[in-house]
Amino acid sequence: MEKLNISRLKEIVGEKNVKDDPADLYIYGTDASVHQAMPWAVVRPENAGQVQEIMRYANSEKIPVIPRGSGSGMCGQTVPVNGGIILDMKRMNKILEINLEDVYCRVEPGVIDDDLNKALKPYNVFFPPTPASSIIATIGGEIANNASGVRSVKYGAARDSLLGVKLVLASGDMISFGTTTRVEASGYQIERIIAGSEGTLGVIVEATLKFVPLPTIRCLGMTNFNKLEEAGDSISEIMASGCTPSMLELVDNVAIKAINNALKLNLPDVDAILIFEADGMVKEAVDFEITKIKDICETHGGFGTELSFDEKERERIYTGRKKLFPSLSKYKELMPSTSLADDMTVPYSKMAETTRKIHEIAKQNNIIMSAYGHCGSGCMHTKILMDTTKSESWKAAEKAVAQIYEYVNSVGGTTSAEHGIGISKAPAFKIEKAASLELMRGIKKAFDPNNILNPGKLQDASDDWLNATKLRYTVSDKCE
Amino acid sequence: MNKPKIKLNRLEKWKGSLDVCIRCGYCFAHCPIYKDTRWETDAPRGKMTLIYGLINGEVEPTDYVAEKLLECFYCKRCENNCSSSLPITQIFTDAQADLLEAGFDVKGTTSVTNRGQCTLCLECVRLCKHEARSYDGRIVVDTVKCQSCGSCIDSCPRMAISMNLGFGTNPDEMRSEITGFLKDDKRKNAKAIVFCCNWSNYPGFQVAELVSEDPDPEYKILVTMCSGRVQSQVIMEAFAQGAWGVLVTMCPEDKCEHDGNVRTKMRINSLKKAIHELGIGPERVQLEIVEKGNQKQFQDGVKKFMKEIKDAGPLKRG
Ligand SMILES: Cc1cc2nc3c(=O)[nH]c(=O)nc-3n(C[C@H](O)[C@H](O)[C@H](O)COP(=O)(O)OP(=O)(O)OC[C@H]3O[C@@H](n4cnc5c(N)ncnc54)[C@H](O)[C@@H]3O)c2cc1C
Ligand code: SF4
Ligand code: SF4
Ligand code: SF4
Repeated sequence: MEKLNISRLKEIVGEKNVKDDPADLYIYGTDASVHQAMPWAVVRPENAGQVQEIMRYANSEKIPVIPRGSGSGMCGQTVPVNGGIILDMKRMNKILEINLEDVYCRVEPGVIDDDLNKALKPYNVFFPPTPASSIIATIGGEIANNASGVRSVKYGAARDSLLGVKLVLASGDMISFGTTTRVEASGYQIERIIAGSEGTLGVIVEATLKFVPLPTIRCLGMTNFNKLEEAGDSISEIMASGCTPSMLELVDNVAIKAINNALKLNLPDVDAILIFEADGMVKEAVDFEITKIKDICETHGGFGTELSFDEKERERIYTGRKKLFPSLSKYKELMPSTSLADDMTVPYSKMAETTRKIHEIAKQNNIIMSAYGHCGSGCMHTKILMDTTKSESWKAAEKAVAQIYEYVNSVGGTTSAEHGIGISKAPAFKIEKAASLELMRGIKKAFDPNNILNPGKLQDASDDWLNATKLRYTVSDKCE
Repeated sequence: MNKPKIKLNRLEKWKGSLDVCIRCGYCFAHCPIYKDTRWETDAPRGKMTLIYGLINGEVEPTDYVAEKLLECFYCKRCENNCSSSLPITQIFTDAQADLLEAGFDVKGTTSVTNRGQCTLCLECVRLCKHEARSYDGRIVVDTVKCQSCGSCIDSCPRMAISMNLGFGTNPDEMRSEITGFLKDDKRKNAKAIVFCCNWSNYPGFQVAELVSEDPDPEYKILVTMCSGRVQSQVIMEAFAQGAWGVLVTMCPEDKCEHDGNVRTKMRINSLKKAIHELGIGPERVQLEIVEKGNQKQFQDGVKKFMKEIKDAGPLKRG
């Protein structure tokens, strides 16, 4: 901390854009994860030139720099494990160009996803990754986490919409990677590894993104299943049959109970629900897709199917899924919903088995877990509901997390579908990617020889997430 | 767990709720205070985190922390977006009460009265819907009860009331925005000011700036905490700076959180008469009722208004 020259930072970005009061540092030391650590200062650059100057200064003094969008990461991506400067990118929030002719837009990294989509809407196009957190997620954070969302099953993740980035390296040098063209076959295509790099390789100061036409017709369906396996089989068959749903979501029984508890929606108390959507420009095409999906579900035992093209009806059908988050947090008194084992991907054929396994592991460890997700992308989310004040809950959670990822790994799945790795998923990531860790460290070193950019994350994170930082929760039987 | 550094009699009960907060940040997406400063410390999630730190002893209660926790316009935009359905503003109110009890003397967004200017007409006491103002030999403001709507500020005939922190909504801040827009030499199209109530139609506005959007727009939107806060002097300032017209939007009659719209209606009616006497057509000041979050109603209202004032043309300078 003593080596930080606050006046130098103020010279670069102006007095008003630096904070170092302990209260500010406490806030900027957390995100939506279980972790917390204190940075030394928060700095808000306004343009790429300022970012370059900050990096030059930090590099010469070997001060860690952690780029931060809205801090909605769920795995501690922006938590400054070794202190340093939080580089708050939200002031760089200009949409620089919407080029309809060449079908791309250029934006600064602090632009909020919903804002970008609001600006694109008049042209009947959209930027598709749209994570659930699109109301606050910045484009920089989405690229760095390689975010995706409910519609990624059809439209892909942030990486798939990324044509190019302008990056400030640890040295302060600025390089543009990528292109504005639709395809590119040149060499290493560095922009693609920037997606998912979680702020460890450089600071994104501009992104070139492609957009796609907004469908004019959407149809949403919902089907109930008495057995989880039947829902699982339906998912595999839908995806293997050549259907292209624009949404395919699984909701398990714990989640259904939580939704019914909180919202009194009277969803049937079944083992699983599938929610699916087809979209397009031609009614017949959408009809064809949705009927095919519905038929597959019903062949596997799906019943009580509801379908609707109507916007209000669709909203009603989707309410439960949309409000799943708040519902889970109200599942049981004193059982906060923690962001642990928060996401993973498994092959389609293993969705049902994974859900069962999650319930089994939860039971063994005496915690509550719900499983739900964008199963059309093979993405499964969980939340661990537990008494966060007890150290035994944390021990149980630690065991459950390890068991879950051991299983995911064993069936050919991967540690993160969309939320990223950060700190809390790093042990599982390091086991899964053991063979490529050294190569990744080599890449990191080529970009950032002094290891100042978001150190202690991804391949360089601790093997012990529980003790890697202080927890944001107060564990009352720990310090007495 | 460290001990809290001060007694937090009211806040202790929220410990469980603060654990339930998943720190997602959805609450700050539409917070007008965050939108003004863009510092997470001014955003509801930041304040929830500070309160958590106060309770577990990790955050030192200082004037700075107290000031932050006393900043809130009680628009409840945060609560309406909260992933965990937490009663965020109730938690803030308890934090304020505990901090004030512990002896912190900060005002945040509370309205304050300049005793030198106040003639004790008690107009503000009568109109405050939140019973935050009373008379005890002088005007006393209950900092915890005050919801910072600003209604008292513009109703005071002596202009004795103000808010130290306005986050863009104080009359002075508005005046400088008006001048900045209408008197900017680079702008050729600037014609009108639209006052937009934070409660009724602000939610849809973006944080991002669209560079390719019209660089020289015809009107500027200024957000107020309640239409009742738009003082006649501020509207007249717009005309003095060359505006062709001013539009004020407000919530439907029985829907205003602060009963400010009743006064707005009266004010705009008398202002129409006053400007008429000055030779300015009454159509230059208009009022539009917009339901909460009804973006279409808002846009249609603005469109109609702009057409009318463009038909009327620029004000003739006498
Ligand atoms: C309730 C909730 C729901 C969510 N739902 C989804 C979901 O559906 N899908 C999904 O993918 N994610 C989801 N997330 C996770 C998260 O919101 C997204 O991944 C989001 O894209 C992160 O954006 P952010 O601006 O908050 O980034 P931050 O959390 O601030 O940062 C994320 C990472 O990006 C890096 N970073 C940020 N800006 C830059 C930059 N300019 N240059 C370089 N690196 C940078 C940071 O260092 C960090 O490593 C959810 C989170 C919450 C709390
Ligand atoms: S009530 Fe309004 S001003 Fe207060 S914290 Fe919530 S959103 Fe911000
Ligand atoms: S929206 Fe609610 S749960 Fe999310 S950070 Fe704000 S207070 Fe916490
Ligand atoms: S009128 Fe509004 S600002 Fe004035 S004291 Fe009452 S609540 Fe506070």
